[in-house]
Amino acid sequence: MIVAERKPFDEIKDMVSSYKKVLTVGCGTCVAVCLAGGSKEVETLNAELNLAFGKDGVEFGAETLERQCDMEFLDELESKAGEYDAFLSMACGAGIQFLAQRFPDKPVLPAVNTSFIGVNLDVGWYEEKCRACGNCVLDMTGGICPVTMCAKGLFNGPCGGTNQGSCEIDPDQPCAWFQIYERLAAQGRLDQIIKLSPPNDWSNQKPRKVIQPGYEARVKALG
Amino acid sequence: MIAEKSSKTIDVQINKDVLVVGAGKAGLTAAAQIAAQGYKAVVIGNKTACACGAGCSKEMQDAGLVEIQDGTSLVDIAGVAGDFRVTLGKGEETCEVTFGAVVVAPQYTGVPLNSAYGLALNDKVISQTQLEALLADDAGKEKLVNGSGSTVAFLSGFGQEGDPTATGRVLASALEIQKLENCRSYIYAGNVKVGAKGMERLFTQGRNEGVVCFKPKTMPTIEQDKENVKIVITDPVVRADVELEPDYVVVEEGVVVGPDNLGIAQTLGIDADVDGFLPSNNVHRFPVKSNREGIYVAQNDVDAANVALQVKALIGDGVRTLTEDIAVVDDTKCVICLTCYRCCPHGAIFWQDGAAVISPAACQGCGICASECPMDAIQLGEFTDADLKSGVKEAVASAADATPSIVAFCCKNSALEAGEAAAQFGHEMPAGFRMVKVPCAGKVDVDFIMNALVEGADGVMVAACHEGNCKAERGNIYAGWRVEEIRQRLENMGLNKDRVVFTTIASNMAREFACKVNEFAEKL
Ligand code: SF4
Ligand code: SF4
Ligand code: SF4
Repeated sequence: MIVAERKPFDEIKDMVSSYKKVLTVGCGTCVAVCLAGGSKEVETLNAELNLAFGKDGVEFGAETLERQCDMEFLDELESKAGEYDAFLSMACGAGIQFLAQRFPDKPVLPAVNTSFIGVNLDVGWYEEKCRACGNCVLDMTGGICPVTMCAKGLFNGPCGGTNQGSCEIDPDQPCAWFQIYERLAAQGRLDQIIKLSPPNDWSNQKPRKVIQPGYEARVKALG
Repeated sequence: MIAEKSSKTIDVQINKDVLVVGAGKAGLTAAAQIAAQGYKAVVIGNKTACACGAGCSKEMQDAGLVEIQDGTSLVDIAGVAGDFRVTLGKGEETCEVTFGAVVVAPQYTGVPLNSAYGLALNDKVISQTQLEALLADDAGKEKLVNGSGSTVAFLSGFGQEGDPTATGRVLASALEIQKLENCRSYIYAGNVKVGAKGMERLFTQGRNEGVVCFKPKTMPTIEQDKENVKIVITDPVVRADVELEPDYVVVEEGVVVGPDNLGIAQTLGIDADVDGFLPSNNVHRFPVKSNREGIYVAQNDVDAANVALQVKALIGDGVRTLTEDIAVVDDTKCVICLTCYRCCPHGAIFWQDGAAVISPAACQGCGICASECPMDAIQLGEFTDADLKSGVKEAVASAADATPSIVAFCCKNSALEAGEAAAQFGHEMPAGFRMVKVPCAGKVDVDFIMNALVEGADGVMVAACHEGNCKAERGNIYAGWRVEEIRQRLENMGLNKDRVVFTTIASNMAREFACKVNEFAEKL
């Protein structure tokens, strides 16, 4: 899932201070699961803002959508949008932008920092796992991402800095390529590490799009 | 007028079979007692005691009321009280069986505490278990008597805090030795506990047979050379040293929790206490109950009988009437983040069809899950968010004229009672002090506290049970974390963080509670 963290309170307070009435919009998907932007966080943030601005300050409304990265759910705000001067979104960066795109006249402000694609280690504890490089090599790397886990993001490793399991940047940081070696060795697949990965194409980066197989025609038909 | 709380009830089918994990003496005794209540008991584990000796009669076994599956182990468990779906394994094979209740009879291992007495184990310095093995057959007894009889000294309760089971073993062995020809027993007892059934009788019997018992205040002086051991104590009555050179010295044993037991606890999702023993201590619970409804622990025969009673109370005639809405998940709001599942201290939550589900048979109504849910998808029938929020509003409004106004979220198991008693006893409390009843401090949401401040409260107090005393095991810990988080947030906002405090209290501490409240008011 996408993991986000709430922005420092002062930053949020500054952002909203010039408006009269702001709608705090939560998202019931990734950011709810990572305890950053679901309806409970919306309530809590609004309570904090109310406390800071007092009864006569900025007014806050609350709404939590199923997902902010789907137009149909954003449409649910249509009837309310007129009442508010701005939206304060607790969704990930994608949701925030889609909200801004859906209501181009409205200032849309981010209440969270989108951190990474990661996994849940325990309640409230997450770890990054994937940098969405667009060219997944996990088959060759024993299911360990070299882009995320290797400090240099090497597609072919290890480098000369590997030191008895640690990365040269920090003895507490495991060397991703050492772990990859261990995993492949245990699986009897060390031949995989010999294979060379061609350099990833990081040039001329444009926003990437994904069309799931079987949906191409549908997307095309939409124009 | 008291508002009627209408609670919907449902009848739930309870499976009438009981799984007993552990085929030692305690486990087999528990099985016999459960069978005596008319329920089928299936015992698994490595059999280390005699079934008939533990009360599992041949008739019970023939009738299938007690089924002993020697060597079968617990692989996994799903479901909740009344409907545990247990995976059992033997060798490579596994199978799934449903049980209404599970009893764990942990088998602990003893380690001799000889080093606590500065002793090395040898032919003459032996552990309690070694002695019991000698007493078990004639050859061993003959060795003990050693022709002309021998002197045996027991050291107990200096190496560790004693417990009734250990004391009982010493008394029984000492008595048995005393009865052997020309043998004499001496007991050196430190911090021993004798509060158990039959202990007094054992002690008196031993005394009558001539067992000598010393209870020195400090550990005896013990010297060991290659051949002999010398034990010296100072008798406070005759004010002289009493010396003994026994033929055998028996040292007490410390009990260690084997990795097996902790593994079983983990599989079952039950807590152990700080020393690793099962179950975790909780004053609000019967000692044989674990933190999960329907899972019990039997350490000995006394426990076994109590477990059977608990099993009967749970299973009854196979149908239980339960309150349906103790805690309910709104499946349209749930995003199945698993937070509630991970936080529930009673293992009452599972997931099904894309949403979390709370079992009314296992839920204890603490509300920890509801306060942690990021979607506010969980509501407690008796303590809905809406009720609690309006309760806070009313509390603040009614205290508006007083300075300071204080909203105290009070756990109904402790602080609420302490607060009510304080009022009854006439302890002076600030005029603006208002209590909001919560089922457990674990059901105080971060936004409840923030909103109390928004409504205009000068101070907010969250009052929970003492550490280690929470009925819901960890509700007080969650409450403490949340208050800390809010204090941090207030500080970040440039507000006085001391407007929100966390405190712990017991229900019988009315005066202390009043003091704490007054102190808080003073600071505000
Ligand atoms: S290689 Fe790593 S960054 Fe790239 S897609 Fe795979 S997991 Fe993500
Ligand atoms: S915490 Fe709430 S949203 Fe998460 S699984 Fe439980 S009920 Fe669903
Ligand atoms: S109310 Fe308490 S016992 Fe019931 S499901 Fe929630 S956390 Fe578990």
